[in-house]
Amino acid sequence: MAEPAKLELLTRRPGEPGFEIHEVQSQQAYLGFRPGRPPETEWELTPQPRGLDGSRNYILKSHKRDNYLLLSPQEYFLWEHFDGHHSLNEISRALHFKFGSFDFEIIRQFLGKLYLAGLLNELQTTGLRRSVARRHERWWKGPLAAISKYWSRITIRVSDADHYCAALYDRGGFLLFRWSFLVLYGALLIGAIIAVSRLWPHMAEIAGRVATRPLLSTAIMLATIVFVAMLHVLVHALACKAYGRKVREMGFFLLQGLLPTFYADVTDIFLSSRRVRVMVDLSGPMVEVVCGSIAFIGAYCAEAGFAQSLLFGAGLVLWESALLNLYPFNFLELDGYNVLADLLAMPTLRQRALALVRRLPHRLRSGKMPDRAEWIQLGYLALCLVSVLAYLIVHLDAVGVKLFAWRSAP
Amino acid sequence: MSSAAQSVPEFLHKVAFLQDLDDQTLSILAARLVSRTIKGGEVIFRELDDSDVLYIVEQGRVVVSKHVRGDVDIVLTRFNPGDFFGEMGLFDAAPRSATAHAESDTVLWQLSRHAFEQILSDYPAIAARICYRLVMVFIQRLRATNEQAREAIRWGLEATGYSPEETPATFGRKST
Repeated sequence: MAEPAKLELLTRRPGEPGFEIHEVQSQQAYLGFRPGRPPETEWELTPQPRGLDGSRNYILKSHKRDNYLLLSPQEYFLWEHFDGHHSLNEISRALHFKFGSFDFEIIRQFLGKLYLAGLLNELQTTGLRRSVARRHERWWKGPLAAISKYWSRITIRVSDADHYCAALYDRGGFLLFRWSFLVLYGALLIGAIIAVSRLWPHMAEIAGRVATRPLLSTAIMLATIVFVAMLHVLVHALACKAYGRKVREMGFFLLQGLLPTFYADVTDIFLSSRRVRVMVDLSGPMVEVVCGSIAFIGAYCAEAGFAQSLLFGAGLVLWESALLNLYPFNFLELDGYNVLADLLAMPTLRQRALALVRRLPHRLRSGKMPDRAEWIQLGYLALCLVSVLAYLIVHLDAVGVKLFAWRSAP
Repeated sequence: MSSAAQSVPEFLHKVAFLQDLDDQTLSILAARLVSRTIKGGEVIFRELDDSDVLYIVEQGRVVVSKHVRGDVDIVLTRFNPGDFFGEMGLFDAAPRSATAHAESDTVLWQLSRHAFEQILSDYPAIAARICYRLVMVFIQRLRATNEQAREAIRWGLEATGYSPEETPATFGRKST
C-alpha cells in the first residue's frame, strides 16, 4: 500500500516574524473531514422490514444518479451523522458508543458508496486516481482486468424502459394484474394439469415424434424459450408499473458474469413494501406457468402428430423453467432467490453468505460463533451446494448411463 | 550587497544552468551578479511582488510557498546550495507567483533582468547556452509540478475518503 500523501503548510502568526512549517498527512485530514448529505430533495430513504436478528436495513435512492444503496444499520447511523458538522473522528466515536467495536474501513467504504451515488460532493479525478493505481499493478493485471471489464459489460440496455413500460401498461398491460385474469391463469393451470394427466400415458410416443426432427425441434424450443424469457421480463416490468414504481432499465446481460439472460431493473420496488416485492418477483415465473399451461392444453386439443409433440415439449420446458426460476438454492439470483431474500429481509443474502465463508475460519479460530443471521446464510450456502451437487450427480449419472450403454452396445 | 569577486566562478560551477560554461564565460556572468544575505525566517520576495531578478543559492535553504488562505501557505518546493529560483522574472514582467522565505541563514546571488538582457545583447552565444540550460531545467520543474499536482490530488482523495476503485457496487435488483 502506498504511503499516505503529505502536504506541507507554512503558517505565519500575525505581527510576528518568521514562520512555521507543518506536515499534514492525508490521514490526519481524513479524521477531521466533515461529510455532508445533499439536500433532501436529492435523495429518498426507505426503511426495510426488520431481519431475523432484529436489525433494520434502509434503501437510499439518489435522484441525481438514479441509483440505490442498501444501508446496513451502521451505515444508516453514519448517514444520519453526515450533516456537515461532525468530523469523522467524532462520528466514529459515536458509532463505537452505539455499536461497540467496528472496522474503521466501513466508514471509508460507505463514503465510497455515497460518492458513487452522487450523495456527497464528488471529486472529478477518477481517471487520475486510476492511473496512479495502475503504476503499482503487475503487468498481467491490466489486460486481465480489461478483459473482465469488457466481458461484464456485454450488456444491451433500454434505458428509457420506464417510458415504454408505462405506455404498454396504460394500453392494456394493466389487465394482466386484474382479478379476472388471475382467475383465468388458475383455470389454465387446472386445465393444463388435466391435459398432462391425460397425455402422460402416451409420453413415449409423443417424445419419439420430437426426436424424428431434432434440428427443427431444437430450433423451435430455443425460440420459444427466448420469446417467453422476454415476456417474463416484460411482465416483471409491468408488475413494477402496476405498483407505481419506476423501471430503471431493461435489456440483456450476463447474470453474475456467466448466464446470458434478459432483465428488468426493478430496484425501485425497494421503496415499496415487502409484499409488493414478492408480487413482482412472482409475476415473472407466472409467464412460464401460463404459457406452459397453454402449450399443454394446445397439445391435448391437437391431433396426434409432430405439432402436438412440440406443444407438449414446449409445455414441459416452460414449466421446468418456472420451477428452476422459483428454486432459490442454486447460487443464482433468480426470482425464487429474490423471494427468499425478501422474506428473510436479507436483500444481499448471497453476497453476505459468500463473504461470511471467506472470514469464517478466522471467526471460528477466534472462538466467535456465527449469530442467527449468519447461520441462515450458512444454511443457504449449504442448500445451494447440496442442490447443485445433486443436479450434477443426476445429470452426470444420466450421461454416464448413456455412455455405458453406448460402449456396451453390440 | 557586494559585486561578485574572483571566488564566485568556482561556486557557479555547481549551478545547474551554468554547468556547461567555462571559467572565462562564468566570470563574465559573475561580474553581473550581486550577493545578498538573508536571515532565517525572512522573506526574500512575496507573491505578487515585482519580479525582475533570478536568485542563485550559495548557502542556506530557501522555501517557496503559495498562499492558500489567511496566514496559511502551501509549501511548493525548497532550494539548496547550487539551486536557483525566480527565473520567471528574467523573462516576463508578471508579478511573483509564489513567496520565497529563507528557512535558515542564506547567501544568495542575484541576476537582474537588466543584466541578463545585457548578456543577451553582448554575448549571444553565451546567452544561447544559458537559455538552453534554463529550458532543460524548466522542463524538469514542469515534470516535478505535475508530480506535485498528482500528490496534492491524492492527498485530497485520501483526506475525503474517496477511493472509487475500492468501492462496492451500488445496490440493485435485476429481475430475470
